[in-house]
Amino acid sequence: MATLRRLRQVPRHLLVCEKSNFGDDKSRHRHLVETHYHNYRVSFLIPECGILSKELKSLVMETGAYYFVKNLPLHELITQEFINTFVKEGSCYALSYNTNIDEDNTVALLPNGKLILSLDKDTYEETGLQGHPSRYSGRKIMKFIISIDLMDLSFKLDSKKYERISWSFKEKKPLKFDFLLAWHHTGVGDSAMMSYFSSYGIQEHQPKVAMSTMTELQCPVLQSSELRGKPGAACSPGELLDWLGAVFSNAKLNNESNNFISTYCCPQPSTVVAKACLCTITGFILPEKICLLLEQLCRYFDEPKLAPWVTLSVQGFADSPVSWRENEHGFQKGGEHLYNFVIFNNQDYWLQMAVGANDDCPP
Amino acid sequence: MVHLKHLAERLPLGGGGPGLGGSRSERELGGVGLVPARAVQSGLEKMPAPAATYERIVYKNPSEHHYMKICLEFQEHGVGLNVTQFKQLLISALKDLFGEVDAALPLDILTYEEETLSAILRICSSGFVRLWSSLTLLGSYKGKKCAFRVIQVSPFLLALSGNSRELVLD
Repeated sequence: MATLRRLRQVPRHLLVCEKSNFGDDKSRHRHLVETHYHNYRVSFLIPECGILSKELKSLVMETGAYYFVKNLPLHELITQEFINTFVKEGSCYALSYNTNIDEDNTVALLPNGKLILSLDKDTYEETGLQGHPSRYSGRKIMKFIISIDLMDLSFKLDSKKYERISWSFKEKKPLKFDFLLAWHHTGVGDSAMMSYFSSYGIQEHQPKVAMSTMTELQCPVLQSSELRGKPGAACSPGELLDWLGAVFSNAKLNNESNNFISTYCCPQPSTVVAKACLCTITGFILPEKICLLLEQLCRYFDEPKLAPWVTLSVQGFADSPVSWRENEHGFQKGGEHLYNFVIFNNQDYWLQMAVGANDDCPP
Repeated sequence: MVHLKHLAERLPLGGGGPGLGGSRSERELGGVGLVPARAVQSGLEKMPAPAATYERIVYKNPSEHHYMKICLEFQEHGVGLNVTQFKQLLISALKDLFGEVDAALPLDILTYEEETLSAILRICSSGFVRLWSSLTLLGSYKGKKCAFRVIQVSPFLLALSGNSRELVLD
């Protein structure tokens, strides 16, 4: 019987649905966007829209470059110069590239100055640094997390702690990773990062943008006040999330219930829109840019529009060691941690945050 | 004047580990309505101004379906299947391992690309493990050796629209 039960089990996943209004002072939308640090894919969908407005288009095209450095030794990220130039001036983000969080050692730098290392047991023991076991270890602990506060360290450069970390990264266990880097700052000088890491062959990359227009698209009917949906009147956030996935995957939305191949259809009640604009940006995208995009989409309804709502979805890197804030993120069967805004024309919004098995509940 | 009521439903953040002990959870009863009711809604009419109340619901294991992005690889080149043959192959894989009853599990092929033999599948959550194990153990099609590669799985279809592990930098 236990075997039969296990055959029907699925990995635990969570979906948090929130409803609020952008005009509410206590609305946490900015905070939640800004604390989701490593974003891989940002996409938005605007029903009843054929061409993007000038402002939106320029925002999308100027999402900002990110950088790629190969074989960067870890001790370069704890130098006083690096901390003063990038970590203290603006928000610096880094994530090790091509490292699987469930198999390899992974490193991430958060804009608050925390350097997070997710290491396997052997590497952790070889570094000789203080950390804690991963929350999702199971019975045998195979993963350890070390968290180094660079802001705190930079004030005590001659402390024993800094000496030990420095010794560990330079002599005891010199670790090297390929990194994706991004830096948000208010000053001028976009090439500061390029010149700082020029000896490591740093490359600049632009996020990829894909825009398309769909015609005769079936869209679910939503009511901003009905967060659980209303049978016959409005769809629920879960149905909307699946529908969005189907649209972005180009699945057919109007299959018959007796179709052999697929019976998926748009959740009911639904309406058909003449055209809809889809845009996807992929790369290493800064939360600050996503905030700007969100604000611009809110302003979409400043003038009367046919669309009742627009959506903005953001997907995080599956191999990031953190999801929101410093919540640990893991990869069991899938490493999803994503969120989706539904912005209504009355400035109400829905926010859905979804995480997989080895993840804490989104804040 | 708009009164802003703030109903905070805070949950223990990150507490309880994978089991999410102590938090509220609800089973989502989503699903497609049986009668396709068409509601015409014009965006020009603004939604009735609500009281802008804050509400938060946490669903644990809400998805009734799981989604898999898979790819079929053959040992030899030049073997092609159309979508119907592909679906038939999936059903026969389920039947070989689990029998007639599980061969009738509600399984949908949401997208299919004949050139790359890759597809996005939708399976009811209770049949997810059985489908994956059937795909793993399928070894041949019409005498030709083949294997299914599972590229991505998720209970959220939106997660399958992008795979950060496929980010390639030159």
